[in-house]
Amino acid sequence: MENNNKDPKEIFEGYNEKFDKNLITDHDYDGIKELDNPPPPWLMWLFYLTVFWSLGYVAYFHWFKQGPLQAEEYENEIAEAEKKYKDTKTGAFEIILLNDETSLAAGAATYAKSCTACHGQNGKGGIGVNLVDEEWIYGSDIKNVFDVIKNGTSKGMASFNSLPDKQILEVASFVLTELKK
Amino acid sequence: MIQEKFYYDNKIVKLFALATILWAIVGMLVGLWAAAELAYPSWNLNLSWLTFGRLRPLHTNAIIFAFTGNAIFTGAYYSVQRLLKARMFSDLLSKINFWGWQFIIVLAAVTLPLGITTGKEYAELEWIIDILIAVVWVAFGWNLIGTMIKRRVQHIYVAIWFFLASFVAVAVLHIGNSIEIPVNFLKSYTVYAGVQDAVVQWWYGHNAVAFFLTTPFLGLMYYFLPKAANRPIYSYRLSIIHFLSLIFIYMWAGPHHLLYQALPDWAQTLGVVFSIMLIAPSWGGMINGLLTLRGAWDKVRDSAILKFFVVAVTAYGMSTFEGPMLSIKTVNALSHFTDWTIAHVHIGGMGWNGFMAFGMLYWLIPKLFNTKLHSEKSANLHFWIATLGMLAYSLPLYWAAFTQTLMWKEFTDAGYLAYPEFLDTVTQIMPMYVTRVIGGTLYFTGAIIMIPNLIKTMKSGHIIENEEASAPPREKIAKKRLAGETPHRWVERKAVHFTVWVLIAVIIGGLVEIIPMITVKSNIPTIEAVKPYTPLELEGRDIYVREGCYTCHSQMVRPFRSETERYGEYSKQGEFVYDHPFQWGSKRTGPDLARSGYRGGKMFRPAVWHYEHFKDPQKFIEGSIMPAYPWFFENDLDYSSLKRKINVMQMLGVPYPEGYADRAEADLKKQAEEIATELKNAGKDIAWNKELIAMIAYLHKLGKDISLATESKKSDGDNSTTNISLSDKPEDLQAGAEIFKSTCASCHGINGQGVVGPNLGDNFTIHGSEPENIYKVIANGAGIMTGYKSQFEKTKLIQLTSYVHSLIGTNPENGKDPEGKEIK
Repeated sequence: MENNNKDPKEIFEGYNEKFDKNLITDHDYDGIKELDNPPPPWLMWLFYLTVFWSLGYVAYFHWFKQGPLQAEEYENEIAEAEKKYKDTKTGAFEIILLNDETSLAAGAATYAKSCTACHGQNGKGGIGVNLVDEEWIYGSDIKNVFDVIKNGTSKGMASFNSLPDKQILEVASFVLTELKK
Repeated sequence: MIQEKFYYDNKIVKLFALATILWAIVGMLVGLWAAAELAYPSWNLNLSWLTFGRLRPLHTNAIIFAFTGNAIFTGAYYSVQRLLKARMFSDLLSKINFWGWQFIIVLAAVTLPLGITTGKEYAELEWIIDILIAVVWVAFGWNLIGTMIKRRVQHIYVAIWFFLASFVAVAVLHIGNSIEIPVNFLKSYTVYAGVQDAVVQWWYGHNAVAFFLTTPFLGLMYYFLPKAANRPIYSYRLSIIHFLSLIFIYMWAGPHHLLYQALPDWAQTLGVVFSIMLIAPSWGGMINGLLTLRGAWDKVRDSAILKFFVVAVTAYGMSTFEGPMLSIKTVNALSHFTDWTIAHVHIGGMGWNGFMAFGMLYWLIPKLFNTKLHSEKSANLHFWIATLGMLAYSLPLYWAAFTQTLMWKEFTDAGYLAYPEFLDTVTQIMPMYVTRVIGGTLYFTGAIIMIPNLIKTMKSGHIIENEEASAPPREKIAKKRLAGETPHRWVERKAVHFTVWVLIAVIIGGLVEIIPMITVKSNIPTIEAVKPYTPLELEGRDIYVREGCYTCHSQMVRPFRSETERYGEYSKQGEFVYDHPFQWGSKRTGPDLARSGYRGGKMFRPAVWHYEHFKDPQKFIEGSIMPAYPWFFENDLDYSSLKRKINVMQMLGVPYPEGYADRAEADLKKQAEEIATELKNAGKDIAWNKELIAMIAYLHKLGKDISLATESKKSDGDNSTTNISLSDKPEDLQAGAEIFKSTCASCHGINGQGVVGPNLGDNFTIHGSEPENIYKVIANGAGIMTGYKSQFEKTKLIQLTSYVHSLIGTNPENGKDPEGKEIK
């Protein structure tokens, strides 16, 4: 029902709901009244916009199959990375024993961080094998050690191929030379 | 007009209000302690029940169901009676609701720290408590709908629409998600497996937020805000529009918790678009609340109550904007598994739910006790300190989340992970974890300040437990729609119709998403290599669930290069078909474990590593925030329910051979002894029947089947087991001997004399003594022996075969008794 009450004192006392043009006079719930204001138009437009956006999203990915779905997106990412890092990561890389001080120091740092938990600070082993004795299960060549670090072993050593090859080579070189000293 | 006299039940409101206050304190305290444990792992004091994995479910359940649950009942029981001009339908149901709910909370507070849990987030309580919850919840609904039917007013107000929708939806969600088969009194397995379980769980989990933390609080807002501000509701039409769109759309949005995970793309898309469409319906509530304060903003300055409400409604608006944003896949790729989620829910939980509840208590307690609030000043102090606490809690976590997710995803110029050590990304955010404890403490302090203020208020007044009221009886008007009556106005006066319409609106979304997931096979492509859990792995998995490992570790490698580089191959839907319940997790405080059984992978750790790590993580890995698990070393593995567990799994479709339950125990022992032997060889003495052994077995299962599948695919073509020509070169035999020593000796003895496995040095054979026979057994396994073709390349296998062949007839000392046929 429309509110036809006229507020004689409005100008003196400011807002008074009783005289609000929009008051729905027959809505009263334990004293709570309601107004008949329309929802803010911007809010309604926001709603329509999200509905259209959603339809567009579904159309783009599923009806017209324009965008890549999850598996394809991953393949794209990998392909892109392979292209981008071709030279640095999958390119030719010479595995030779490093003996310059910087590399060995870097190798020592990596060793301290990633290897000591299993092989011990001085390489005497623990969970992992002893690295300072003369026994080499997988060979003592720099290539063997590099391979073990990079790819892990079936016996339980984890693969560290998330480290750059250079860093693996540094730590392998460190293990083969400095660690014993 | 005739006036009917009746009495409001204020006593029940008082009881719920007291319970709200009590559980607020308990829930926050547990949360604080859990947060402190992340900053200082030793705070678990090496007590199993005080460990993060067990406290976190207790915190979430206490806050959601105990604190806000009681707040909902407080507000609903007060407002429903007054809005409908009737006493609650049944005092008995009110009492069942109150005492039943408190009993459930106490049961939760006992069982969760004991590790009695289903392992499903926010639905951790076990089956027997689930039944109680359903009963008590139905008592509440019955009471509510009964009161609606016997009301004296003609139309039902918007606050009650929201209460009603909450009742209906939570009943559907709770029952739907809790269908489980009991193993024993305190343990059950959900009927849903893997991907299905994930979809059902997040349909529930997301809508627990919607229909336990949102709609009932909108109900509270629609009553207490206009009451406290003494202003009319801004727009009746907006109430209708946002109510209907909110309850319909919310139910579809659950899959946004599983974006970029092992979920079909169509389901993810539904999760995304319905979350985006939720912005405007959610904001409808905020707008209607804030605009209701038009002309009353001067009161906000002075009234602590209105300040609480304003910040609550604003926090609601922020959360309901942030939520849809986090549901956009690009954003979710960054935010998921980080503290972003934690910050987000605390804006909602502390801001919206907490502040609504506090504001309501400050308004309601003086009303109930016919007095004035003891100290407005103290309430204002509570407001400011809690607001500050909320900011000091959430801002550091946002910072931590941005920092950590960027570190996880950063690559060096050469294309390698910039932070390959997960721990580095944790150490970086430790200061934020400390700051968040300070923020939480401030928020908690605010709640503590509230208590004496409310107690003094209660003492200064007097409660009328049965408050007299009067109203004219409901006028009988035509059941049919009247001329000029809108359809909505019409159902507002028809309680039962309204309930049915609400049920239909809330049920559609879930049905559309869940039914195809269960019935359409193509949604979950199977992987043949994936095998059911062995009995020991199953027991280990139950310990994993018991300890709440999923609260910190995910088992879900997402298809991003940054994750596959760190953890290994991304997770596939078919990997989880035997997982009752799924354990994907939703937060990575520690690294993902989905590939921890992938031998030669980045995440594999040998048994002895786990031994050291569970014993003392900090000593083993400096700076780790993993708690120690000393009880794994002390507790005997309880496999008394094993038989029943296998039977239940068979009922659920896990393909154990018929009658396997009877053989399971023997298999369990065998596998446990193998692991104990492996540990012994590494110098760690532990009995086979300790819980540690089962945990190791389980961790070594995760991703193992996938590794075997990939490896055998890789070596296809080079995999024939015929025409094996042995080598007699000494270097090959030497290499074979090395492999034998490291891999075979634990079962066959150092000289092949036989221990667990048969004697290889006598003149007897079980599977044949030709090179092809030996090669086949080594490559593919036989009986309990595992195959090694996935671990060694063919040349190495041939070296090993050559060595084993050379052992025949060496008759080593202490040889095991002959088995099989004699070699001619």
